[in-house]
This record gives sequence, structure tokens and C-alpha cells, in this order.
Amino acid sequence: MPDTPLSLKVYRRLLQLYPAGFRENYAAPMEREFCDELEESSGPLALAKLWVRLLADLAISIPTQIVREMAQDARHTLRLWANRPWNTGFAIAALAIGIGANTGVFSVVNALLLRSLPFHDPGRLASMSPYEYIPPHGSAKEFHEWQTQSAYLAGAALVEENDVNLGGERDAIRAHHALTSWNFFTVLGAQPALGRGFLPEEETPGHDGVAVISYGLWQQLFAGDPRALGATVRVNGDPLTIVGVAPGGFEYPNHSVLWKAATYSPGNNGWATVARLKPGITWAQARAAFSADAGDGNPRPQLRSLQDALAGRAKDGSLLLMAGVALVLLIACTNVANLLIARTVDRAPELAIRSALGASQARLVQQLLTESLLLSFVATIAGFVVAYWTTALAAAVQPPPLAAQSYSIFDSAVVAFSVLISVASALLFGILPALHTGRLRASGSRVIRQTLAAAQVMLTIVLLTASVSVGRAFLQLMATDRGYDVKGVVTVNVALDGTTHQINKRQRPYFEEVLARLRRIPGVRSASATEFLPLYATGFVGGPFGLDGQRAKRNSTMLPVMSDYFQTMGGRIQYGREFTGAEVRNGAMVAVVNERFAANFGAPQDAVGHEVTVRRGASRKIVGVVKGMDFATDPTMIDPNQVFIPSSTPGGFFSTFVARVDGPAEAHLSTIRDTVRSVDPAVPVFGVKTLEQRQADLFARPRFYRTAVWLFSGFALLLAVIGIYGIVSYAVAQRTREMGVRLALGTTAVHLRAMLLRQELITVVVGAIPGIAAASLTGRYLESLIEGAESTGLATSLAVALLLAFIASTSIWAGTRRIASLDIMSILRTD
Amino acid sequence: MFHILLSLGAGERHGYAIKREVAARTEGKLKLGPGVLYGSINKMLELGLIDEAEERPDPHLDDERRRYYRITKLGRKAAQAEAARMRELAELAAETFGIRKHA
Repeated sequence: MPDTPLSLKVYRRLLQLYPAGFRENYAAPMEREFCDELEESSGPLALAKLWVRLLADLAISIPTQIVREMAQDARHTLRLWANRPWNTGFAIAALAIGIGANTGVFSVVNALLLRSLPFHDPGRLASMSPYEYIPPHGSAKEFHEWQTQSAYLAGAALVEENDVNLGGERDAIRAHHALTSWNFFTVLGAQPALGRGFLPEEETPGHDGVAVISYGLWQQLFAGDPRALGATVRVNGDPLTIVGVAPGGFEYPNHSVLWKAATYSPGNNGWATVARLKPGITWAQARAAFSADAGDGNPRPQLRSLQDALAGRAKDGSLLLMAGVALVLLIACTNVANLLIARTVDRAPELAIRSALGASQARLVQQLLTESLLLSFVATIAGFVVAYWTTALAAAVQPPPLAAQSYSIFDSAVVAFSVLISVASALLFGILPALHTGRLRASGSRVIRQTLAAAQVMLTIVLLTASVSVGRAFLQLMATDRGYDVKGVVTVNVALDGTTHQINKRQRPYFEEVLARLRRIPGVRSASATEFLPLYATGFVGGPFGLDGQRAKRNSTMLPVMSDYFQTMGGRIQYGREFTGAEVRNGAMVAVVNERFAANFGAPQDAVGHEVTVRRGASRKIVGVVKGMDFATDPTMIDPNQVFIPSSTPGGFFSTFVARVDGPAEAHLSTIRDTVRSVDPAVPVFGVKTLEQRQADLFARPRFYRTAVWLFSGFALLLAVIGIYGIVSYAVAQRTREMGVRLALGTTAVHLRAMLLRQELITVVVGAIPGIAAASLTGRYLESLIEGAESTGLATSLAVALLLAFIASTSIWAGTRRIASLDIMSILRTD
Repeated sequence: MFHILLSLGAGERHGYAIKREVAARTEGKLKLGPGVLYGSINKMLELGLIDEAEERPDPHLDDERRRYYRITKLGRKAAQAEAARMRELAELAAETFGIRKHA
């Protein structure tokens, strides 16, 4: 029969699918029986029948046997674990943290960067930043000519977002809305759930009283009633007719609930652009064409994918965290591998007996792998708690820009990822001990374990150095003198748009009434208001102001404030005084300047009494010089020269009441909010926070990175120390007899311990050298990622390595303490 | 399993012989595939119902060495208990339904 060898070959292959134990016992007889049957069945028909029968048999029995042996191994494993609860608990905890943190961070990466955006064909959507490039937008005609004639874009839409007062005269709420060119929904490929998007003519003044509302707002205001179409909604008091409802979940940009057609003006520099690439145009081609369009600039204009643009800085941050948690998992795997190897060597007698009893190499390896998988599996389950916690934390620090991007761990991609890393780590930490059963030689295992420990030392140095750098940057961020005192200040925002106080001359009386009531509250020391809260301002006005007609070299920022502003904010008046209530009330032509401004024209104290030239023919008398305040986290973003003036229309930009109170600011939040509201309930009151809370919110991300990196490195350090301690105490146990002999021959215990210390410290040095090198590389990456994080330089890495060596020495010394109490006689007697 | 015990009741057998005997006794209705057969043997070995005899050549077939199995005391007891249980069941069924004579 010519096909006999083939059939047999196939059958042999199939027999390999049985688990090792069964295979060893029964593969040979099964193969022989197959040969017998093959001889008995002649002809293709009989052969086919034989195969059908055998395949059915294999299909039933292979899974049965696999389950059987796995269950056996699992029971065996559980018995082993029960004997060593600490050892096992530690391994599970280390892996759970490693796998959990990876799963958690991956769910963020998945949501922001991998899951596709909830738009039509999202991979072709591009975004242009208003800070880099805005297409021609002087008029509707100009913009639409640009976008329809584009060689690389199928279409582009302008969009600008801001907060507005939404609703009727008495119950307005603060809401996010977007002004868009009429084709906004078309470019994104969003079909309205009800009604329509905008029409081209709705961009022209007079025809622009229309709005598209979000699905959520439709439900909220109209309970999903289709009669919402044609109904009126008020935005900053202006009535708009609803013409459409956006599809469910559509809330781009930034949780918008309402879209309004744009009005064009050449002066508007807030337009962001979303665009769709022309079919057949690659991203590379589009980018090249875009550079020709946008030219050079600072920062250099870039055409980003919408997904990248939405992820923004969170992209790099998430990837950095991903690298960090991957390192942590690697360290955890190394440690668990170390533990398992130690145990395998410990179990050498047991394994030797089992192998003498006929358990083969393959069977033992299978057992160890089952154990690893089980360990990894239990850790993954526990890791989901860690993962859940990680995503909750991430969502608090860095909320996803779209609702469709919520960080979920119950996502098929995330679950698949966690299963993948869990199996991968099981193989990683299981494969070494498994291979190791091949050669149960203690010396070989020492080399492997020391290599693992050295790798751990290296990774730990990288993480520790990074944590020093990030921690230092954060401290700097928090310790920076920003020219005001955050403690004991309550802040409250109001927006007058669409209320009876909207018109300019009614704004100040409203503010003065609120301030008068605030100042009467017991416990309020002083109160004031401004449109530009330090670090929180969203836009600025200013110009090239001068002194006594002499122009300054740099532009100044103009900051309107009410009376008592510096006293309330804890600002520092260096010369002169701040504005009186009367000066604010009468709109007196006075100014307070910051030191930087004054220093442009000589000694700062001389500036008092001189005049700030605001523009030709208009000047303000300087009544005080103050230490300036930081109005943006990145001071280079705005002009450092500051001119404060009495506020005449305090309801203009981002009106904020500030009140300095006695005792903890939190205790006064509700009283102050109610007092502000009592003046006119129709004015939306929001942003009721202490200044400290605002600052904490602002620095939440750097704080998160700092905490994350600290946790990683602390964890890595702990694992490294435990790993080294394990190796040493194990080595001592292994070499007890040798030690005993040496002690008997007159060596002192201290001498022996010092010898071991020297031997083991070599491991640390071997790991430290590449560690320091890798740390300087990551330092450079961190620098570009986290503001203020500096490459820490060789000194820090060296210091970290020394610290690690010291800690390692301590743990080695502790690990060798048994030598001191060795009883020579009892050791030698065991021979 | 009962069939395997039954065939071993008459003496030591190797796997292939057990299979042929079971097939012959059930008139070809029960054909044990090798995987299922050895799976059962494995389990019965663990339960102590059967035992491994030493390997030796099968005189009837060829001179290749084969592994023989024999029934243990426990196996014999288990088979007896099973037979008793089946007889009780058969008697109960006969009382209830009567026995139909084979045609």
C-alpha cells in the first residue's frame, strides 16, 4: 500500500496532541494498533471508514485527556501552593499588580488610540490646530473656495467651541457649544437623528438663527419629542430655532450639546479645522500638500489625524505609562521566574523521584507550565481589580475627549490583551524553570538567577532615575512662586450672557452688589472679582503699552480687576497701593503695574505717579507696583508685562468672584455660592471651588505621572530587594555544608558573610552599568514629555545605583545572617 | 468500563485484544476507539480496578512486545457489584413489564 506511511505519519502527528502523561503511556500501543487496523482494512473505502472512526475517537478523547491531566496538575499545584502560602501569595500579588496595571493602561491606550472614532470612515479625518494654521476665513466665500478647491481634501469644516448660557430667562444653565461652518456634519459624515444639518445660506447673518442640538439635550429638554424641530432654544439670550438633532453619542468637539452656524470675520483666530482627505490621497501626500498650504510657522503647522489630535498630549503620556507598566510586569515576571527556579531546585529530589518513577521530562515540564498558567490566571483575575482602579484614576485625571472613548476594561480588545499578556508572562516566567528541569544542576541555576537579578537591578535603576526626575519636576511646579497665595480663597464663576445684566453699564452695579453682600458674610475677610483668574484665563487683551509716552520693548497684558483684588488673592504690593472702591466705581484712569513692566523704564519704585500710555492720547496714572502673577502654566505663552486696571465691564470674559476667608476655604463654599446666587437667581453660577482645588485640578496630570512613576519604581525596588535576598539566602542554604567546613577550618562567620556579599554585589554592578546607560536614554525621552522633567544626568543615576547597592548589601547581609548561627558540629555530622 | 472488566475477567489481555473482544461480544455494536479505550484503561488503573502485568509478546499475533492488563480484586468486586445491580434492575423490569421471549 503506497499510502501507508502517509496515514501513519498523520496519525503520529495527531497522537502528539495528547497530553504528555497519556502520550507516554499509550501512544506506542495506539500506534501499533493503528498499524494492525491498517493492515486489516484494504481498499480506499475501508481506509476512509477507519479514518472516520479514528478521527471521532481522537476528537472525543483528546480533550478529555487534556482536561484530565490539567486537573491533575492543577490539584498538584494547589497542594504545592498550600504548602507555601507566602511564596505563592507574593508571586500572585506581584503578577496581579503587573498584569492589572498593564491592562488598565492598555484600556486607556485602546480607547484613545486604537478604538476607531464614532464617525464615518474616521481614519481619513484630519485636524488642524488653530494655534498653528487656520485656512482663509475672512468670509464664507473665502473659506469655502479654499476647501472646495483643495487638491488633497474632500472637504473641510471650521469649528470653534465655547461655553454659553443655555435656556430661558430664569433657568439658564452653563453648557458647551460649538460654532461651525455649515458643512461640519457633512465632513464628519454624521447623519442627524432628526431634522437636518445646516444649509449653506445659514452662515450669513440674518439667516443664522438656527441650531442643531445633541441627542442628549433633545432627551433632556424635549423628552425625545419630534416637535423639538422648530422649537426655540436660547443661547446667551438669543433665540435660535432647532432644525436638527445630532445622532446619539455625537458630541464633538468636547461634549458640545449645541451647534450653531458660524459667522465669519478675518479677526477670529479661534477656528479649528476638521477635514476629510480626498479619496486616493495618502496621508504622506496630504501632509506634503498641507505644508505647502500652511508654510512654516512657530510651532510648525501639522496635519494630524483627528484621532491623534483628540488624544493630544495624553497620547505620549499613555505610551510612556505603557512602557512603565511593561517594565514593571517584566520585573514581576523575572521575580516569579526566580522564585519558581528556586523552588524547582528545592524540589529536585521530588522531581528526581518522580522522573525515576517514569514521569518523563515532557510530563514534568507540562506540570510546571500548568502551574505557571494557573498562577498567571489567578493573578489576571486579581489584576482586573487593579485594572479597574487604574482606569478610574485615569478617567479622573484625563477624561476621554469623546463619550465613545470611555476607558473600559470590559472591551474585547482589552480582555484579549490581558489574556495575551497573562499567557505571555506565564510562558516567560514558566519557561525558564521548565527548561531548568532538564538540568537539575544548582550551579547552572545560579547563573540564570543571577542574570535575572542583574536584569532586575537594571530595570529598577531606570525606573528609580525616572521617578527622581519626574518627582523633582513636580516639586518645582508646586513650589513655583506664582505671585499669589492659594490658601483660604473661594472662587465662583458667573456668566451674564443673556441675562438682564448683560449690557455693559449694568455689569458693574451687579458685581458691586454681589461684592457688597459677600463682604458682609461673617468669616469673609475680603472679596473681589476679575475676568482673568491666575492660571485659568482663557483669553487676553493687551498691547504695546508705554510709560509717559515712551514705548515698552514688549507687549503688555491688560488685566481688569475690582477693588481689594490683591488683598484677596494674597498678591504682593511692592510700592504704592491698589484700587479703591471709589476708583473702580468712577472708572478712574489709574493703573497698577507689575515689577517687570516698571523695570522696563528704570527702578520699579519710581514708576508710582508716572503714567501708563495705553494708546495715543489715553493714559492712566500708576498708583501701585506689584509682584506679577502667573496667568498661564507656561509663562512663555503670554506677555510677562502686566497692567492692571479698574474693571468697568467685569462681566466680559471669564468673570470670577474671589473671596479670602478665615479658616478652611471648603467650609465657606456653599454660603458664598448662595450669596452670589441671591443677587439674581437668573445668573448661572458655576465653578464653585477653592483656589487650591483649581490648582490641584490643573496639576492633576503631572501629579498623576509623578505618583505612577513613584509607584512603579517603589514596586520595582521592593521586587529587586526581595529577589536579591532570595538568591542570597538560597545560596546560603545550598552551601551550608561548605560553609560549615570553612568555619571548622577557622574562617570567621563575618569573613564568610563578607565573601558572599562581595560575590553577590557583582550581580548588582553587572546590572547597574547598563541600567545607568538606559536611564540616561529614558531621561531624554521624559524631558520631551513632561514639562519641567529634566534629564537627571549621570550623578542622579549613579546616586540611585549606589542607593540600590546599599539596599542590596543590606538585604544580602540579612540573607546571610544564618551563617552566624551555624552549628558546625551538626552540619558535619550529617555527612 | 464494565465491558473492559468483563473481557479481563477471563484472563490477562492487551489493549488491542480487549477492543476486539468487546467488539465481538457486542456483535460489532460497541467499537472502542483507541483513545477512548486507553482513556478508560488509564482511569481504571488509577482507580485500582485493573493492574498492569509485565510486557511480553503476544503469542498469537507477532513477536512485538505488548502491555498486558489484568483485573484486580477490587476490580472483580466492582464487576460483581455492577452485575448484581444490573440483575436487580433486570428483575424489576421483568416484574413490571414481563419478559418477552426472543423470537
